[in-house]
Amino acid sequence: MDAVINRFIFLLKKRGVRISPAESQDAMQALAWVALHDRDTVRTVLRSTLIKDVRDQPVFEELFEQFFSLPKASPSPESVAEPPPHPETAPEPPATVAEQTQITGQPDGDNAHEDALDIRDYFDDESMATHFDSHQDANDLSLAEFGQNLLLSRNRDLLDQVIRKAMQWLKTRRMKSVGRAGELNLDEAIVALNADVIAEAVTELLDELNDMDVDKNLIQRLSSRLDGGIANLPELLKRYLERELALQPPPKMPEPSRRAMPNYRFSEQERREMTEIVQRLCRRMRGARSYRRHISHHGRISVPLTLRRNMKYEGIPFQPVMTHYRNEKPRLVVICDVSLSVRNTARFMLHLVYNLQSLFGQVRSFAFVSDLVEVSACFEQQNIDEAISTVFDGGLIDTDVDSNYGHALSLFHNRHLAAVTPQTTVIILGDGRGNRNPPQVWVLEEIRRRAKQLLWLSPEPRGSWKMGSCDMSLYEPVCHQTEVVRSLRQLGRVAEDLLRRSVTPH
Amino acid sequence: MFASIEQTVAQLRDQQYLCDRKLATVAFLALHMRKPILIEGPAGVGKTELAKAVAAALDRQLIRLQCYGGLDEAHALYEWEYGKQLLYTQILRDKISRLFEGVGDLHEAVEQLHLHEDVFFSEHFIVRRPIFQAISSPDPVVLLIDELDRAEEQFEAFLLEVLSDFQVTVPEIGTVKATTIPYVIITSNNTRDLSDALKRRCLHLFIGYPNEQRELDILRMKVPALQETLATQVVAVIRRLRALELRKAPSISETLDWARALVLLNADALTPTLLEETLHLLIKYERDTQQVNERLPWIVESLQSRSPPEASAAETLLHPPARPAEPDVNYLEQRRQEHTARYFTSYRGRTDGRTGG
Repeated sequence: MDAVINRFIFLLKKRGVRISPAESQDAMQALAWVALHDRDTVRTVLRSTLIKDVRDQPVFEELFEQFFSLPKASPSPESVAEPPPHPETAPEPPATVAEQTQITGQPDGDNAHEDALDIRDYFDDESMATHFDSHQDANDLSLAEFGQNLLLSRNRDLLDQVIRKAMQWLKTRRMKSVGRAGELNLDEAIVALNADVIAEAVTELLDELNDMDVDKNLIQRLSSRLDGGIANLPELLKRYLERELALQPPPKMPEPSRRAMPNYRFSEQERREMTEIVQRLCRRMRGARSYRRHISHHGRISVPLTLRRNMKYEGIPFQPVMTHYRNEKPRLVVICDVSLSVRNTARFMLHLVYNLQSLFGQVRSFAFVSDLVEVSACFEQQNIDEAISTVFDGGLIDTDVDSNYGHALSLFHNRHLAAVTPQTTVIILGDGRGNRNPPQVWVLEEIRRRAKQLLWLSPEPRGSWKMGSCDMSLYEPVCHQTEVVRSLRQLGRVAEDLLRRSVTPH
Repeated sequence: MFASIEQTVAQLRDQQYLCDRKLATVAFLALHMRKPILIEGPAGVGKTELAKAVAAALDRQLIRLQCYGGLDEAHALYEWEYGKQLLYTQILRDKISRLFEGVGDLHEAVEQLHLHEDVFFSEHFIVRRPIFQAISSPDPVVLLIDELDRAEEQFEAFLLEVLSDFQVTVPEIGTVKATTIPYVIITSNNTRDLSDALKRRCLHLFIGYPNEQRELDILRMKVPALQETLATQVVAVIRRLRALELRKAPSISETLDWARALVLLNADALTPTLLEETLHLLIKYERDTQQVNERLPWIVESLQSRSPPEASAAETLLHPPARPAEPDVNYLEQRRQEHTARYFTSYRGRTDGRTGG
């Protein structure tokens, strides 16, 4: 079982879900507490122990469906037998036993494509009777069930091993045979497959079964069908490959976009670095001290307040009163240009916005080209890749028009200026190229007047600010600070700079 | 005790808390694995109620810690009782001076004093705050840490020790281990992401809005006075309201409030006028009211079709009709005040200083 769950976790991690070893351990422990035959329970247990972020849930659900389900591609009845048992297909232990037989090897290859009646042959009345006789007690039954489930999963692990060995063998075969390039000729290779390898593995499995003290009947059946297993290997191999294929991340659907989309995915490294830098930036902004002293449990003893409060004890200071300067909570408004002219850096910018959003308590983010729209909710609910593609796909705003800073700014002024208070830091991300539309500098002045700090981060180098229809020269004097940022390194430098310099409210 | 998942469901049902298997599985595991549960979900879906129900079902005391911006360890873990310490020194003044009778110089006096230091830094002078209380209680308790996302990130760090090892370290005394393991439930409204370190230590559970049938069941259980047809109508309207893009969609608690109000009003059936008059029980923002009013015909539509919930294609998504065109800027200009008000009221910091004491 451990191997199966480990593999599941590995696949989850591959899809970008963060799972720590401690959580994997929890999952194993939790599974020990519940009955494994109930699919939904297993799903809930794994979800609650492994998935700690609501945004990761869809990935989990999808993978769970794929990983613990019946391969639909195979038409033969044995396809029903895939662990962990489905509540419908495996309602009782005999079925589970049958599954084991099925997985280890179909008795004879001829039956592989016959109808479903086939499966019933494996547990005729006699064997079912013995099975139930040996486990009449209800407790015993569930125990056996659990044991068999466990066995079942180990069994699969072993099967995987067998098949891997077989594949290895196949690969070496292919080198020798002059077949069509790059194509796996199964039929031919299987004939030559080293039967020893498989026989060995199946014996190993039998030993294990013996150790685990299960139905003697089953073991007998298995050993008698050892040859059948080998004969049936191509079928198994096919199923194995199909399953592996199904577990590959689905190919990305071609974007319905008019342009070729750049890659919006971020590597783990990038994410970490960005988070680190934004955290530093965040600390700088937190550093702003409020000028009012607050009563608190730490800080300095305030003599006047202490005296006043202790008047009732005849001036004996029973209750010291302490005050300290509280750091203000930073509030952030981020306005990000996502137009064509900054498209290559917009991905980076939105990444920055996303991080700001997740690290600061109160962030409102807006995206604009010509129209301006609030994207805070979208960034809060989705993961970064989704959020960014939502913005670029044009569902929220038309991303194909020319950018119009003046229009966007005045929209902001009309609709959202209330979001700017004396505690707010406003960050504008964009190149200031308004395509000769009225720049509406007065809006920016208004924002500056209300905000604590107005920061403009432009992806364009300073030298080109005077070229073309760039309004940066108009906007720059209004801002408290303008910086050129187009990569993580530069952002890091800006953060450092902000840390060093004490930017006081004007 | 929750002996099995089925029993967990039944026991919670006895406490008037209807839950699905998913929730029960996590509640069951939390008890046996001794791990805290972290519950996330929109406001009013019964996160806090779960803690109360669990406490009642397990027959344990519920200790509640409501988090807020600026909450620190002095309010959550423990605090030294300065007043008592001072009072004791005042009362014991003679005793203390007698201590120094045979002492020659200042040096020796300080040495002497050092020997008796722990008298004043002992557990007698610690005010036990909720978390400390929970782990030092002789009987196991249920500890509810409510709306943890409202507290600062630094506060989460204080919880880590408690949550994983069930102990509290007081620098002056040492480590206090839990006498009994509390059943910990943490809730979060998801206004910010909690740290990975905290999440790692918890079982995670997301509670969303219930489906139609469950909501109807809850309604029947909690408001038995409500008539059957009315209950069906209430649930149908609520479902349509949730399909709209509201700032605050009505949750279960609002559904229940509304149902109780309808019972008080002696309503037999939900009419469009009645719906309009009682809408403010469900809708908490002016802007949402606006939106609902625009779509009122579509919502009222649900009242006409009296089909039972099973028949009305339970899980099909509801699609509200398209919104009328975006109102012009001038209209938005008028709403600036509302925006301003919202922004200021959403500030969660404490400005009143300490309370009590």
